[in-house]
Amino acid sequence: MNEMRHHTSRRKLLGTGAALAAGVAMPAVLRAQEPPKPAELIVRAWGGVWVESLKKGVSDPFTAKTGIRIRHDLTEDNEIKPRIWAAVAQGRTPPIHVNWDTTANATSSALRGVCEDLSDLPNLAKVMPLAKPIGFTGVPIVNLYSYVYVLAYRPEAFPGGAPDSWMVLLEPRFKGRIALYNDGIGFHPVAQVLGGGKISDIPHNMEPCWAFIRKLKEQKPLLGEDPDFTNWFQKGEIDVACTISSNAREAKLKGVNVAWTVPKEGAKVDTDGMWIPKGLPANELYWAKRYIDFALSTEAQQVWLDGLGLPGVAPGLKPPADLVGDPSYPMSEKDFERLILIPPRIQAEHTPEWFARFKEIMQS
Amino acid sequence: MALLVLLAAPSLVVAGASLTAGEIVRFPPDGLSLRWYSRILDASELRDALLRSLEVAFVCTALAVPSGTLAAIALARFRFRAALAIQLYLLLPFTVPLIGSGIGLMLLFGELGLLGRVWPVGVACCVINLPFMIWAVAASVNALDPELERAAASCGAGPVQTFVLVTLPAVAPGIVAGALIMFVLALNEFLVSLLLVDARTVTLPVQMYTQIRGVITPDLAAVSTVYVLVAAAAVLVLDRLVGLDLFLRAR
Amino acid sequence: MAPFSGRSDRRTGPALASYRFSWRVFDVLEALAAQWPARAMGLVKWFLLLPALLIVGLLIFGLVVMADASFRVMDFRTYQLSEHYSTANYVRLWGWGAFWATLWRSLGAALLVTLICLVLAFPYAWALTRTPNRRLRRVLLVGLFLPFFVGQVVRAYGWLVILGYEGIVNKALAVFGLGPYRLLFSYPAVLFGLVQYMLPFAVLMLMPALAAIPEEIERAAASCGASPLRAVLRVILPMARPGLIAAALVVATLTLTDFAMPAILGGGTNDFLANLVHDQFFRTSNAGLGSAIALVLTFLGTTIAGLLLTRAGTQAFGLRGTS
Repeated sequence: MNEMRHHTSRRKLLGTGAALAAGVAMPAVLRAQEPPKPAELIVRAWGGVWVESLKKGVSDPFTAKTGIRIRHDLTEDNEIKPRIWAAVAQGRTPPIHVNWDTTANATSSALRGVCEDLSDLPNLAKVMPLAKPIGFTGVPIVNLYSYVYVLAYRPEAFPGGAPDSWMVLLEPRFKGRIALYNDGIGFHPVAQVLGGGKISDIPHNMEPCWAFIRKLKEQKPLLGEDPDFTNWFQKGEIDVACTISSNAREAKLKGVNVAWTVPKEGAKVDTDGMWIPKGLPANELYWAKRYIDFALSTEAQQVWLDGLGLPGVAPGLKPPADLVGDPSYPMSEKDFERLILIPPRIQAEHTPEWFARFKEIMQS
Repeated sequence: MALLVLLAAPSLVVAGASLTAGEIVRFPPDGLSLRWYSRILDASELRDALLRSLEVAFVCTALAVPSGTLAAIALARFRFRAALAIQLYLLLPFTVPLIGSGIGLMLLFGELGLLGRVWPVGVACCVINLPFMIWAVAASVNALDPELERAAASCGAGPVQTFVLVTLPAVAPGIVAGALIMFVLALNEFLVSLLLVDARTVTLPVQMYTQIRGVITPDLAAVSTVYVLVAAAAVLVLDRLVGLDLFLRAR
Repeated sequence: MAPFSGRSDRRTGPALASYRFSWRVFDVLEALAAQWPARAMGLVKWFLLLPALLIVGLLIFGLVVMADASFRVMDFRTYQLSEHYSTANYVRLWGWGAFWATLWRSLGAALLVTLICLVLAFPYAWALTRTPNRRLRRVLLVGLFLPFFVGQVVRAYGWLVILGYEGIVNKALAVFGLGPYRLLFSYPAVLFGLVQYMLPFAVLMLMPALAAIPEEIERAAASCGASPLRAVLRVILPMARPGLIAAALVVATLTLTDFAMPAILGGGTNDFLANLVHDQFFRTSNAGLGSAIALVLTFLGTTIAGLLLTRAGTQAFGLRGTS
């Protein structure tokens, strides 16, 4: 529990490394010993804006540099997990080379021991310490950027400007017009605060969180996943939602009228990462590592994460023009003070239990 | 008539929305255009996925028609001591939740080294939908008068001849109905396929529904519409070839 | 058993060549069939059944794996199932409110959707088999197959457009000064979606049975002075029973194990048991608990199917058993 950093500070996150990343450029000595290149690598990604920006920022430039084609597998992160686990258990070659995954979900795979160690990636020394997950020997997952579970809203419903507190979720006029993720993900720490509890009590005493979620249930929230939120905003089904900022931004860029904010109680910040399943042939493992190493470079992150509107771990990144000063794109120490980080390992070990409680409340 | 509207409404709305000229799917569309259709014509990934889905559907149907037909005839014509148990066993594909079937088949095919190929997906689709085939045929066998078979036998036809020349044609409506269902369902199967394919053998439904995260783009609506049109065409071609009246035919 | 053959037809010309060929084939086959030892005749029925038994048998492997997993507990510090066996997963289900809520919701849906589908499918199938208008028949048939081809996500979008808060129905109601109403994301909405999805299956199961009822029987009933309604209730329905049972079996078991409709139209608060299974396997990676729920669900479905079959009498369902 001591290792938990609740209100993360920018300084800690930045830590070392102001040096510019060198892309996939490696010393010529190393290159001479390169193992044979596979014709292609398979990288799991999310569909829509996610895969498009990855392709533009990481995959296509990687192909240009190495000649290795990248094929994207668009299976959802939690749906590919049983496939990888089964492949490792049966001693088969896994279905993908690189898994782009939420850190919390990836942590369960790391705990199960199906991830290759990535501690020898050259770029790892140059990026924020946030890139290495806490509490593991070695580096089973490399974190690539952070994102915030913001309060997204329809501006028409708030003529007086952005709401400043999550408490708007309880306003009678929004009954049946609010939305959360269907496992409550991204909302538990906020609910803990709103219920009068302390973040430091997570995971031991979460009664305040459950008390607040019970109250919220009376408001008849809709529960869904990323595509649902966009649809519901677009079709006027909801006014307020707790969702990842990039989904709200994509909807906005596509013409749906939606805005977002980080209320005074704060918002949950999380990271996404990449990892390599065990069981690949040695040469494919080598090139998969090179892919992740390239995804850590400033060159790749600047293009890729501009597309997602998310702050990366590489040094020297510039925020996209529309997100300068946006609370979902934390830059300064002050920005980070309002964000709540629950260590992925705590999440991985307790998510099943939180999930059961959340379902218990919402399904009855 | 109201039922027809109820059945067709979501498809029609999506088809209408796919004609949009705008960036996101809306209904009514923002102006009409076929630009999203020209875009999917270029997408070789979708084309390859469609071909794989057709292979899956053919494998599934080719397996289901003989096995389902024989089983239905056996069940309808012979007395089995454990009839109820056999029927409940043959119903397992419907009573085991699809996720369970999918995980089980993934582990089995993984053990046998069959993952990463297309035809096992067809086998899986056959497994999870086989009861449709059996019952469609069983309903027809039931309708067949046993007198007819007895008459053939008394005219000197042997058991094989009776079966091929009398029984099979009589249950043809059920076979056609069952084969259609099997083909269509295999073409559109998502959840179990998701666990069995990889990025190199992805089928069309898996390709389509994993593509979306966030905004539903008009090309997806366009693909759906193409799908509907292909389906309608398949039904019409079948009609031309064998005549759909075949399976409505009253004796 | 004298084969109905063309052996005496040697003088025939080319016109009959093809017939002769097929006769020869039959001769060979009949001869082979005759070789079959008479005392093994009882095995024929099992040979007919064997391919289907084997295909469904592929599921048994998964069932055994799940049965094994359901008695092991997931350790979330290592994400491995325990080595030892225990009934902890089942005990946990017994005391988990969300499990019971979803269980009753799934059972209720199976009952209601089956009844509604049978009532709606009967006239549709009747119209299909009885209309003299070829074009209408085509339209009805295509309408039947269309819904299969629109996938879940797109279908969900279609329903939003039609039944959403700002959808077509609410806009129409607004003309009369009504609404807007929340029509989606509730139990009735899930039931509605399921009926729409299952209706084609019910119609397809009913059609062969209805097609088999000779029209003379209706006419006979009418000529005996029965009103059309009476004719349907007293004559047609009993004759269509095999089809009705088949339709009920299909709709009830598929509804019970459905997971897409509650996910799409339930708004996240109307889950069925299959959604819980999905969550446990994919979201929380608890294969032990997920397997336990899946097995409970399989047991429920099999029990319902068993009741339907025994209540309706196996006589009515395919098993006429002439030999």
